[in-house]
Amino acid sequence: MINLNGKATRVEKVLYDVSLLDFIRDQAMLKGTKFGCGQGFCGACTVHLDGIAQRACQLKMSEVRGHKVTTIEGLSALTDDEGLHPVQRAWIAEAVPQCGYCQPGQIMTAAALLAANPTPGDEEIRAGMSGNLCRCGTYSRIHRAVARAAQER
Amino acid sequence: MGKITGTTSFNRRKFLLNSGWLATGLTVLTACKSVIPVLPTTTNPENEDGLAWLQVLVDGRVRFFCPRMEMGQGAPIGLSQIVAEELNLDQAQIECVTPATNQSPPFKMTVGSESIAVFSEPVSLAAATLREYLRERAAATSGLPVGQLKDAPGGFEAAGRHFFGYGDLISEEAIVLHADDYSSVEQYFNAGKNPYNAVGKRWPSPDIENIVTGKVVYSRDVSLPGMLFGDVVRPPRFGATLIDAKVKAETALSNGQVLVIDVVNNLVGVVSDNPFMLADALEKIEPVWALPKDAPGLDKLDIARYRGNGDFEHTLIDNGNEALVGDAGVQSITANYTTSYMAHAAMEPGAAVASVRKSGVEIWCGCQDPYFIRGRVAALLQRDEGDVIIHPLRMGGGFGGRVLSQPAEEAALLSAHVGRPVRVQWNREAEFQHNYFQPKFSHAIDSGLDETGKIAYWHHDFVSSPIIFGLVPKGLASILDTFVADKGTARGAKPPYAIEHQRLRYSDIRTDTPTGAWRGLGAAPNTFAIESIMDELAFAAGKDPLAFRLAHLVGDGQHIAQLSGVLRQVGDLSGWGRSVAKDRGLGIACATYKDQTHVAVVADVAIDHSERQVNVVKLWCAQNSGLVINPDQVENQVLGNLVWGCGMALKEKLTVSDGIVNERNFDTYEILRHEEAPEVDIKLVDTMQAKPLAVGEAAFAPTVAAIANAAFAASGKRPRSLPFNYDSLYT
Repeated sequence: MINLNGKATRVEKVLYDVSLLDFIRDQAMLKGTKFGCGQGFCGACTVHLDGIAQRACQLKMSEVRGHKVTTIEGLSALTDDEGLHPVQRAWIAEAVPQCGYCQPGQIMTAAALLAANPTPGDEEIRAGMSGNLCRCGTYSRIHRAVARAAQER
Repeated sequence: MGKITGTTSFNRRKFLLNSGWLATGLTVLTACKSVIPVLPTTTNPENEDGLAWLQVLVDGRVRFFCPRMEMGQGAPIGLSQIVAEELNLDQAQIECVTPATNQSPPFKMTVGSESIAVFSEPVSLAAATLREYLRERAAATSGLPVGQLKDAPGGFEAAGRHFFGYGDLISEEAIVLHADDYSSVEQYFNAGKNPYNAVGKRWPSPDIENIVTGKVVYSRDVSLPGMLFGDVVRPPRFGATLIDAKVKAETALSNGQVLVIDVVNNLVGVVSDNPFMLADALEKIEPVWALPKDAPGLDKLDIARYRGNGDFEHTLIDNGNEALVGDAGVQSITANYTTSYMAHAAMEPGAAVASVRKSGVEIWCGCQDPYFIRGRVAALLQRDEGDVIIHPLRMGGGFGGRVLSQPAEEAALLSAHVGRPVRVQWNREAEFQHNYFQPKFSHAIDSGLDETGKIAYWHHDFVSSPIIFGLVPKGLASILDTFVADKGTARGAKPPYAIEHQRLRYSDIRTDTPTGAWRGLGAAPNTFAIESIMDELAFAAGKDPLAFRLAHLVGDGQHIAQLSGVLRQVGDLSGWGRSVAKDRGLGIACATYKDQTHVAVVADVAIDHSERQVNVVKLWCAQNSGLVINPDQVENQVLGNLVWGCGMALKEKLTVSDGIVNERNFDTYEILRHEEAPEVDIKLVDTMQAKPLAVGEAAFAPTVAAIANAAFAASGKRPRSLPFNYDSLYT
């Protein structure tokens, strides 16, 4: 079993060798977590494993059994109200996305970063977000959105 | 205004049925052109095309079948704003739809920063035509003269009392407009009125909440009932052809897995009912390939090979003066510059779902030219084009790399074989090996300064590969290559400066490495060469690089004034001319993109000797791209171009050995990371121009050169080969 976005989810033994990313997308049918490189270089598949940002493409299901997995679909549940997570709201306020494909991963990384460090400095944001690639080049807006989310939390 | 008549007789009934237009509401339509099959869709829109893109719904909202694909550039948002402007609507009253190929007549592929620049006019005319027709209906309904029906939000009002909403003016009847003289309809979007209703506003993407919650559907996210999962063993190198394939000895495919061998179409793959077992199944396939004989080598793309005999395929400017070369009164400045093969590296690797049935073919994929994909799939399956429907999806990045959809073609062949819907998803390695690339460029420029510090002559030769014609099939390619100069390869190659004696020659050489559209085509490589040697000339003349450029931007005309304008503005913005610390340098460059958009960039580069790094600290950009429909989207595009400029200058390089791409993932093909991204300061020049101009690729080209020039200012060493880094500068 894993806890996927708050729900106990069965993992059949034949799927133990499947990556967490493939499980999320093709077994749990949650499509918000993206495939980007398959090697842990780009961060598009970032999810939270027990609250820590992890690359879902680099984890096997056998490794995450018994753990709590949160995807972009489950992120807003981390807020007190029914609305969006503060990081998602900041992303909208700063009109960050262009193509949008990397943004769920960016947002998951940012949410974990802020959970661990609610008031990151500029250098901490740069370092913390650097594992997530954005080919459209939205980095400066991502930076502003993280800083905004930190202020508004 | 022209005559607009309601009619129900038309020859494009099919599109209207498919779009639900006949069920309800009102639309406008006239004939649309056909396009050339098997080539990308290249015809510019005619004004009347726009009439097929708009529909008034009975609730008074307007549905806009947007003739542009969304890949993050935001063109559908900007065009929606133009529709809103003409029809006095707010964002909630516009439903922007990306049409399937059976819902709209063909439209030009989404490339070349043209979506707003080229499509604003027909979209605006169509919306304005619709508005005036509705005004006539309001007049007929009310018995009031047309002149008394004034524009009001979502409709018209008369004498400040009666309101006629668009929804009130239509019914369940099917009406199709035929407008025979649109040009006299009054357009609002570029009338210079301020404040604008919708134009000029920062409308957000209608999809933004779905993007940040992971709900937007990209190609990879499509799932159909009964869908199977396919993948292909792709050729081991460019030009390899399949002879046969079998399942390896002592292995077997599982139940629910099918081996597909299609030698004619050079495809061997597996379809599986279980997505998790697909990769293993593919490992069991043993294909036999015929490898190509030695194809034209990449060493052909070296300017030194061509310069000796002056044998160039194309001459763009032929007013050189060899007599000045070596003249006693002229200081000779010569340099060679090279840029690398580069990949699009969109964050979403290609993917598609195909459903091939006897009754018809449907494809779901993100692509820049759905009608081109439709033609290719139809040809592949030997079906009528009318049997094939492409459902285009939002792309996870395009950058020119989605003119083809190879996964769509693979999925179509696999689906045809198994008779069920099949999904194909490329991984990152496939995306690097099997897409097409930006070609390498090799430049040589000989130039000279006269005694007054003016450029006396400019002899520029370069060699690269076809870009616009990069994707044409082999048979056609040999004919095209003989007769046609690839304008994409030459984009931005003409210097904007007043130089009496100029010669510009080039060759576009086809090699076995596939090349095609990539952001800005030749603009960034060509501008890098031009703006680098301008910098070298300025230093040789002992002139300030900004002043030196301005001194050569002489003559009448809007272009000269506007390019000079953005240069001065970026100078002011960046504090050009101020002294900077040791190992820091400012560099400047400018360019005019596609003869329309003027951009100048200043880069602040720092050399970090302890970390052995070149860092772009800050970029300032002044851009004049005419009327700004949506400042947020335009700034985002400029931002993306600045980041691409950093990547091309400092990081991106793809190499090919024996038809195999060496860089297969982001560890070796590096794109700019967050911590490397500079601070940016973007100024969109406020012009009173009525026309919106090209944006999506414009700021990229001068950024690359500005960074190289700043590195020279910081280090005294000139980067002439891209990408460059600390080690290449100092060794």
